[in-house]
Order: sequence, then C-alpha cells, then structure tokens
Amino acid sequence: MSAAWDIKHVDLSDGHPAVAANPRPLFVVFWWGALPLGVRTYLPEQLPLSLSELAALTAELASPQLAARSPRFCGPARATYDGKPLLPVAADSVQTCGDLLRQLDDFAETTPVSGGPLSVIICTRDRPEALERCLSALMAQTSRAGQIVVVDNSSHRSAEAVSARFSGVDYLHEPRPGLSVARNAGVRVSTGALIAFTDDDVEPSPSWTMELVRALSSAAVDAVTGLVLPARLDTPAQCYFQFKMGGFGSECVPLIFDRRFLDETKATGAQVWRIGAGANMAFRRLVFERVGLFDERLGAGASGCSEDSELWYRLIANGGTCLFEPRAFVMHHHREQWSELRRQVRAYMKGHVSALFVQAARHRHGGNIHRIFRQLPGYFARSAFLALRDGGGARRFQILWDEIVGWLCGLQYAFRPRWRARPVEMPASPSLGQSARQSSL
Amino acid sequence: MAYRIAELELSEPPTPIALAPEQNGLAVLARWKGRLAGFHMASAAPGYAFSTDEVQALCAKRFGRRLVALEVEAALARRWPVEEVSAPSLSIAICTKDRAQRLARLLNSLMSVIGGSRFRATEVLVIDNASIDSATRDAVAGFVGVRYVFEPRAGLDFARNAALRHATGDLLAFLDDDVVVDRDWLEGLFGAWQGCPEAGGFTGLVLPYRLDTEAQVQFELRGGFGRGFEPKVFHSASADNPLHPVGSGVIGAGCNMAFDRTLLLSLGGFDEALDTGAPLPGGGDLDIFYRVLRSGRAMVYEPRYAVYHEHRETLPQLQRQYWTWGLGFMAFLAKSRRSDPALKGKHSAILRWWLLDKLADLGVAACRLRGLELRFLLAELWGGIVGMAGEYDRSLKRVQTIRKQAS
Repeated sequence: MSAAWDIKHVDLSDGHPAVAANPRPLFVVFWWGALPLGVRTYLPEQLPLSLSELAALTAELASPQLAARSPRFCGPARATYDGKPLLPVAADSVQTCGDLLRQLDDFAETTPVSGGPLSVIICTRDRPEALERCLSALMAQTSRAGQIVVVDNSSHRSAEAVSARFSGVDYLHEPRPGLSVARNAGVRVSTGALIAFTDDDVEPSPSWTMELVRALSSAAVDAVTGLVLPARLDTPAQCYFQFKMGGFGSECVPLIFDRRFLDETKATGAQVWRIGAGANMAFRRLVFERVGLFDERLGAGASGCSEDSELWYRLIANGGTCLFEPRAFVMHHHREQWSELRRQVRAYMKGHVSALFVQAARHRHGGNIHRIFRQLPGYFARSAFLALRDGGGARRFQILWDEIVGWLCGLQYAFRPRWRARPVEMPASPSLGQSARQSSL
Repeated sequence: MAYRIAELELSEPPTPIALAPEQNGLAVLARWKGRLAGFHMASAAPGYAFSTDEVQALCAKRFGRRLVALEVEAALARRWPVEEVSAPSLSIAICTKDRAQRLARLLNSLMSVIGGSRFRATEVLVIDNASIDSATRDAVAGFVGVRYVFEPRAGLDFARNAALRHATGDLLAFLDDDVVVDRDWLEGLFGAWQGCPEAGGFTGLVLPYRLDTEAQVQFELRGGFGRGFEPKVFHSASADNPLHPVGSGVIGAGCNMAFDRTLLLSLGGFDEALDTGAPLPGGGDLDIFYRVLRSGRAMVYEPRYAVYHEHRETLPQLQRQYWTWGLGFMAFLAKSRRSDPALKGKHSAILRWWLLDKLADLGVAACRLRGLELRFLLAELWGGIVGMAGEYDRSLKRVQTIRKQAS
C-alpha cells in the first residue's frame, strides 16, 4: 500500500484497448468514450490484461451503466439506503434491447453545450500553487464557464496575484474564515443561472463545465455532483485515503437522490454524503433562493466539513432532486502528508457529527441522532475488529483514533442548543434578482 | 427442509413455479440463451406457488444485470475477435473410490458433452483409487473409450498423480465422482483456455445437484462451493486482497479443476500428504492452486465450466465436511509456511485473519442463538486447531507407510 501508484485512463470503446504491463501498481479508470465506467486497481503481477479479461470487465462495468441510464431497462436509477441503486432488469427488455454497444455510444455522446450560464466558484486559502493549477484547468475547458470567481479566504490576500494572471477571473476577498462563508460570498457575487463549486486542490477535466450544464439542462434536476478521482497516488497518505477510506467514491453509475430517498432512509439517517463531494458540485441559483445558502456553522474553518451534504439534505427535504452524474469529472489532489490526512480525518468526523445535529434540529429527523449514537460507535467497533483481523499496522489504529477524537469533539454540539437552533442565511435578494443572467435553461 | 431447483431459460416467457408440500424454498438456476446466468435461493412457505409475476420480479432483480452483461460480452466478442490458436488436447480424469453408481452417473453426463468437443483430442480416464470390489471396473466397462487405471495406494492425491502419469493430453481436467457436468462444461473449459491460453490452471462453477435435505440446503445457503457467475483471472498477487494467493480457496474447488499437464509435471504433481482420504481429506486443491500461482502462471475461473455437486446428505456428514475444511486449510498452511518462506508474512497474517474471523462469526452465532451455525463453526475451528497441531507431519508419516506397503 505504501508504494506509489500510477494512474491510467483506458478507453474501452477504442478498437484495440489495452492495459499494458507496468513496473508500478496501477490505478485504472475505464471509460467508454466520454462515459466513465469504473475504476480497478492492479499490481504489476496482474498485468498486462488479456483481451478476454478486458471483455469480461467491460461487460461487468457496462451492465449497471446501461441498466441505470437506459429508460428501457430501469433508468434513471434512484439511490437506496447506502447510496447504491437497485437495478432490476426484466428479461424481456434484454430480449429486445438491440445493439447495446451502440447504446453505450449514445450515452457517451458529446454534443457541445455552452458553459455560458455557469458561474464557477473556487474558494481558496493560502494555496496559490494549487489554485494556479485549478485555474489553468478551468481556462482549458472545452467550453469556458460564463464566470469564474476566486474567493480568497486568507487574511492577507494570498490568491490575488495568481488570480490576476488569468484573464476573466473575478477576485473576491472574504476575510471572515470558513469555507461556507467563502462559498456564500461567492454565490452573492455570481451572475450565472447555474452555480458550480470546486476547490483549489482540484483539477477539473476539460469537459467539466459542459457536463455540469448538460446535467442541469434537465428540468427535473436541481443540483449535480460528479466523479472525484485522485490526481496522484504518490504518498502513503494519498493511497490510504483512496484505498482504505474510499477516497471520494469511485462508483460510476449515475444516481438520483430525491425526496423519496430521504423518506425511505431517514429513520436510520439518510446517507446524504453519498451524493457527492463539495469539490465537484453545482446548483441552480433558484436552489439558494428556495432553501438558503450554505450553513456557516458547518464546513472547513468552522465545524470541519459536511456543509455540502447538509445543503443537499435541505434541498431534498424540500422536494428538490440531486443527480450524481459521473461524466462531470475532476481530479483531486489528496493530502500528501500523513499528519495532514490525520487532521483532515478529525475535521471530517467532527464536521459530520455537527451536521447530523443540525439536520436533526432543523428537520426533526431522529435518524441523524441514531447515526451519532448507534451507527458511528458500531462503525468504530467494526473498524477496530477489521484492523485487528486484517492487520495493516499502526496506521489503521491512528486513523480510527482520529475518527473517535473527531466524533467526541463533535459531541460538544449536543450541549449547545442555541448553536443548533440558528437559522440558515438566505441570499440577499437584490444582488441575485438583478444580476442573474437570464439563460435559455 | 428442502428446496426445489428450477432451471429457467430466461429468454423464454416465465411460468409459475409451485413447490411440493415438503419444499420450503426455491432455488432458481437461470440460463440466458443456453448460457448459465445466475443462481438464487429464495425461502418460502412449504408448498408455496410462485406466480408468473413473482418469478419475473425475482429474475429481474437477481439476474437482469447479468443478462445485460452477457449481451455486452456477446457484442464485444464480435468487435474484438480472438485469434485462432491451434487447440490443445484434453485428458479428463475422474478419481473415484467405491462409488460405482455415482461414477456411472457422471460418465453418462460426460459422454453427452464430449461429442461436441473442440479440443484436438479428448480422452477420459477413470482412476480407481483402491476400491474394495470390482464394481468400479465393471461400471467403466459399460462406457466405450474410457480408460481404466487402478491406483492401489488409497488417497485422492495418489490417484490424481496416477492420472498425471497416465494422461496424454496437453490439458488435464479433474472431476470428483460426486459431480455431474453441465451441458456447457466442456465448451466452458475450451472458452476459458481460448481466453487465456497461457494460464496454468482453470477452475469452474460448482452448483448443487440437489437440495433435498436440510444439510444440503444449509451448505448451499452458507455459500456452498459457489464462486459466482463472473469469470476471474488470478495471479500471484492481487491489488484487492493483500493476503492473496495464500487464501487460495477463493479460486475454486478440487472437484472441478484443470491444469496445463506439463506445468503439473514440472511442479512435481500433487502433494500426496494432502487430500489423503479419511485422515486428512482436504487441502490438496488449495496447495496446487497456490503452487501454480507461485510458479508465475495464472489461474482462470470460468462459470460456464460448471458441474453439479452432490452435497453431503446429513448434518453429521456436513459438520464433518466443515471440520475437514479447517483441517485441510491449516495442513496446507503448515506446509506452505515451511516450503515457501518468502511469503511467511502472508501466512501469519492469514492465520490471524482466519482465527479472528471464525471467532467473530462464532460470537455472532452464539448471540443470535443459531445452534446449527454454531455447530458448523465449532467444527471448522476445531479442525483448524487439529490442523495447526502437526497434522501435516502426521500425514507425511502415514503416507510414507502407505508407500512402503505398496512397494
């Protein structure tokens, strides 16, 4: 696990796909044209892959994709409890399905869409090199976003010089600390009908803007999230985060999270964090007008994280619909240092618990409390057992320890009723109503 | 307790399925255009009649995605045609002891698939492993073209090595006498070889032949020999499983496996101190899978290469089977620790994994008051402990004695 991994992208719709021998372990992202199909990992001993292995793998990866996307099978697919879809496929629908590879081609279509209606907000804090990488990727989009806003959350305007180097980037300094505060500031100055968020440690793929706009062109969708895969797997911390903690997910089946998902799962805590990651998400502007802005008590710089999933929770509780569309794809630079990862894990768990308290107070859904006091301790016990059984050394226990510490820190919010009762901020209407660019969407 | 096994061709319209009064479950074996597509067990009230809609819903939920996968695979086969390589010859060896009736049943099923063989040549050998009477020899005499070989030294791996000496094929497939082959068995093996001609060995799906007793149903519900309906390729290491290849049980089962015969010869054949029959009836398959992978050659699991296995009929027999699993696995582990010190870390890790896993299962079964589960787990754990306590060395001595007596 500590060895460095190479990351490769393989297009299976190619006439002669191959995964060649490699001296280092390989993290492979399989595609069908523009359609991500799935991720697999290989040690050098397992390579190269034979054509029959590739064929079996393609079939295995393409079948849930077809089932979830094709209306003739069971698309569009809805998420169930643990963020996985049920994909029943009637035998007679397979009997009459025609050429499935052509249908995959259709789902991988790339008709150009204008990025114009989209405002992209990047919140950054003292990471100018990372920001530069991110902005370069945003400049290289197939269709550039109508507006790019850098919200500088540092005290001494460390992102200003970098932002100035790129033409057409709006710079905004928000000295009040907190990712939610910064994102809200970004929303207030944004002009697009659609608002996307990404982080400074992310590199969006060239079609990212287009894919978000495409996904939001369906009237039924209020918010979109996409696929977040590692940009590098060089250090033990990066590998641990991706392989042992699941990274930001590597499932490639599109999924709908809606009111029904919440109703079916809220008794034991709706797993809204499965919807996606804040590093790759977009909303209709109307969402903020309907349910409010990001909760400024939550998120990095405040309680730790989960400001994104809390907003999704509020949205679907209000009857909105989130779509996970893996075609919108970004690469994330995971924390390089072990100490950074440990800090992040504590913040994640503390933020997670705080968001559960907020959700329970706001919606009166007891499942959130059930998760804090029943599921999470159970999860810690299970993790401890697995760490003992599977080995893996001190690292696993360190991370488990950090999770427990984060959980304990999060419990403080149980004793802060006034904190829990605070209402969420609504967007100031003048800046929104007037400048919102009317789009054809 | 009994389940009805219903074989359904999903490309045809579904029909209702009624259970007999003594049956309290339905096991659906699904095919798609003749190809095996899935197996699923559903419990039900005794004598329950599944309506067409219920059958349809069950199939959609359990097999639907696999059908899509099979269609994609068929389309890809047209897009990525495999190169034609000249076909190898095949020897099929059945090792048997005092089970003439079951042997005849297997030979019958085998004869009906051999006609369509795409192998260059196909021979069938029956290795009679020290049967006490001539019933086995007489049973073989009823089949044209089946070679009979007598191996006087009792022990499955003696018999397998005898097959290795007498076989002539490039590939050598082994079958236990308590199985029946599926109609796609030979074609499945050929397809697996075609997909990966450089592989050192092949294993296939093992399905239940019947589920008429509680022991048979329980065994299948606890996983049986099932390794799923998706083909897999195993190498000497795996990114998904840090203990691989030490946990070689995931690769397949000894009742249905095939190897490159030259490779087996170069590896020195099977370890005769494992799979010895009564005293140590297990571990031989784990050992050979492990050694093939460690030699650098791949093992391929192919679901089309399927057999139906007659599971243990009674609960005491089944309990004993779990005991032998623990025993065989630990004997294999004790041997490998000694013969392959390079992987010592993995051997220790899997020992800890196995013990903690069984203890945790035991705890869960005890808390939930599942008596039968508890019995099986204790049997396996006890077998494991006996296995750890020098069983392999005792077996080596016993085998030495058998060899002396025979010479």
